[in-house]
Amino acid sequence: MTETRERSKEVQIWFGPQHPGITGNMSVQTWLDGDTLTRGITHVGYLHRAFEKLMERRLYIQSFPIVCRICVPEPDTNEWLLASALEELSGLDREVPEKARWIRTLVLEMSRLGAMLMVLGGHAGSMGLGPAPQWMIALRDLVLDRFEELTGGRVYHMYIVYGGVRRDLPEGFAERMEQTLKTIESKLPLIDDVIFGSAVFRKRAMGVGVVPREWAFEMGISGPVIRAMGIPKDVRKDEPYEKYAELDFDVVTEEGSDIFARAMVRRREIQQSIDLIRQILARMPKEGPYCAELPNMLEWTIPVGQTYVRAESSRGEMGYYVVTDGSKKLRRVHVRGPSYVHGVSLLERLIPGTNIADLAPLMVSLQVCPPEIER
Amino acid sequence: MKEILKEIEERFGPIWERVQRPKLAQVGIEPAKAVPLLTWLKEHRGYVTLVHLSAVDWIEQGEFQLTWLLGNPETEERLMICSRIDRENPAAETVSGLWPQAVTYEQEINEMFGVSFPGSPRQGVPFILEGWKDIPPMRRDFDTVAFVEKHIPGREGRKHIDTRTYIGEKFGEKGYLHD
Repeated sequence: MTETRERSKEVQIWFGPQHPGITGNMSVQTWLDGDTLTRGITHVGYLHRAFEKLMERRLYIQSFPIVCRICVPEPDTNEWLLASALEELSGLDREVPEKARWIRTLVLEMSRLGAMLMVLGGHAGSMGLGPAPQWMIALRDLVLDRFEELTGGRVYHMYIVYGGVRRDLPEGFAERMEQTLKTIESKLPLIDDVIFGSAVFRKRAMGVGVVPREWAFEMGISGPVIRAMGIPKDVRKDEPYEKYAELDFDVVTEEGSDIFARAMVRRREIQQSIDLIRQILARMPKEGPYCAELPNMLEWTIPVGQTYVRAESSRGEMGYYVVTDGSKKLRRVHVRGPSYVHGVSLLERLIPGTNIADLAPLMVSLQVCPPEIER
Repeated sequence: MKEILKEIEERFGPIWERVQRPKLAQVGIEPAKAVPLLTWLKEHRGYVTLVHLSAVDWIEQGEFQLTWLLGNPETEERLMICSRIDRENPAAETVSGLWPQAVTYEQEINEMFGVSFPGSPRQGVPFILEGWKDIPPMRRDFDTVAFVEKHIPGREGRKHIDTRTYIGEKFGEKGYLHD
């Protein structure tokens, strides 16, 4: 009887799919007691485009325009994972030229930088600090300018291909990239003042959305969320790929495991990405091929096999489980995005006890990206 | 990774095993031994993370393959446990008691492949699809083209297949194309 009475106090509210605070095309069904959330269920499916199924019906080369759409702010990780998995299964990985590996590392880090600028603005925007996200988007656009000149596309690039990349760096690219990095760096102190110096941000971010440390490994938490617990986990260090093993950087960690710590990890990783891009450009080979000799893509078959490859996206460990059957098409590809854990199981466990006004900042801090949940 | 494969061989007698990369190994195991193996790896060998759970449709052999990918955060090694089940009335033991996030993976596989995990919460609850009445769509025998032709009304295509002619007619003699 008591339970029924307690239940009757609850109000059910849908957070999304149309809501400025929701992280993309998804919704959270929530139950409220006063202004405190008692439970929540993540709902996806608004954006399902059957990417994994489509790839089973296409030639290997035709999958690049599909995979980049799995994460709009950061498409290049997906391109690299697909290329890397099939290169490993076909043996093409031994042929990838040195210069292509450096360019790929550059593109992956530029992609991380652009995504982190966007999400750090999202942190502020979800708490009503209006100007910061607009400044951050403007800075991200400078990175997109460089992507446009390098790949021809601003949002989707389809630049990383099997065996290397699609074209060489344009003349004078390194200088223009350096100018972009300087511009971004010059604005960061202002961003620090507006976001991390804001009493509103500090009060609403500190001690909110705390993820218990004991959930870290069992739930498969990764990226800034695990690093904000003080745990130095980063795929770029744990299983280095491309040229990351040759670069000088430390894994960024913070203590507190709350929204503030996650935002601070991202802020410091923006600087880290800037430093890494400079290192990469300084060591970029001047000469040499940027792509291997490729087989006829219309007739390319890959022997029976399966593998799992992973990379550190701005959101955490992004992985591709790929199965080939000796034919010209994929037998199966399973995209394992960090949001699958962060946006469903972890979010649902964090919701009880959270104030409704903190739900949007919480979701931004977990950097939930629905397309990689429903693929 | 060879040490852990040797131990698995002695304790569980897998069907096959291989080292894919220095930090990635694969093991094929009978369905009945899969969950005991996963439990042992989690409880005694440090593979505490369920990275993902996936299914593959081997329609030619009449089997589904379930793949559990485990991670060891100490060594950063990954272990892929593969098990094949019958494609007719497919069912497998749930691991939601071992890993809470497995509920979502099992819910999705149930929806997309029709594999059931008795005892797992949210079985039969839609995850991505809504009001789906056809066969599970990730099965190889699900015909995507036939589905689209049946459910999405077609539209009349343009008369010309030559882009230059089409644009020329629509926008003037020269169109927007360069000579």
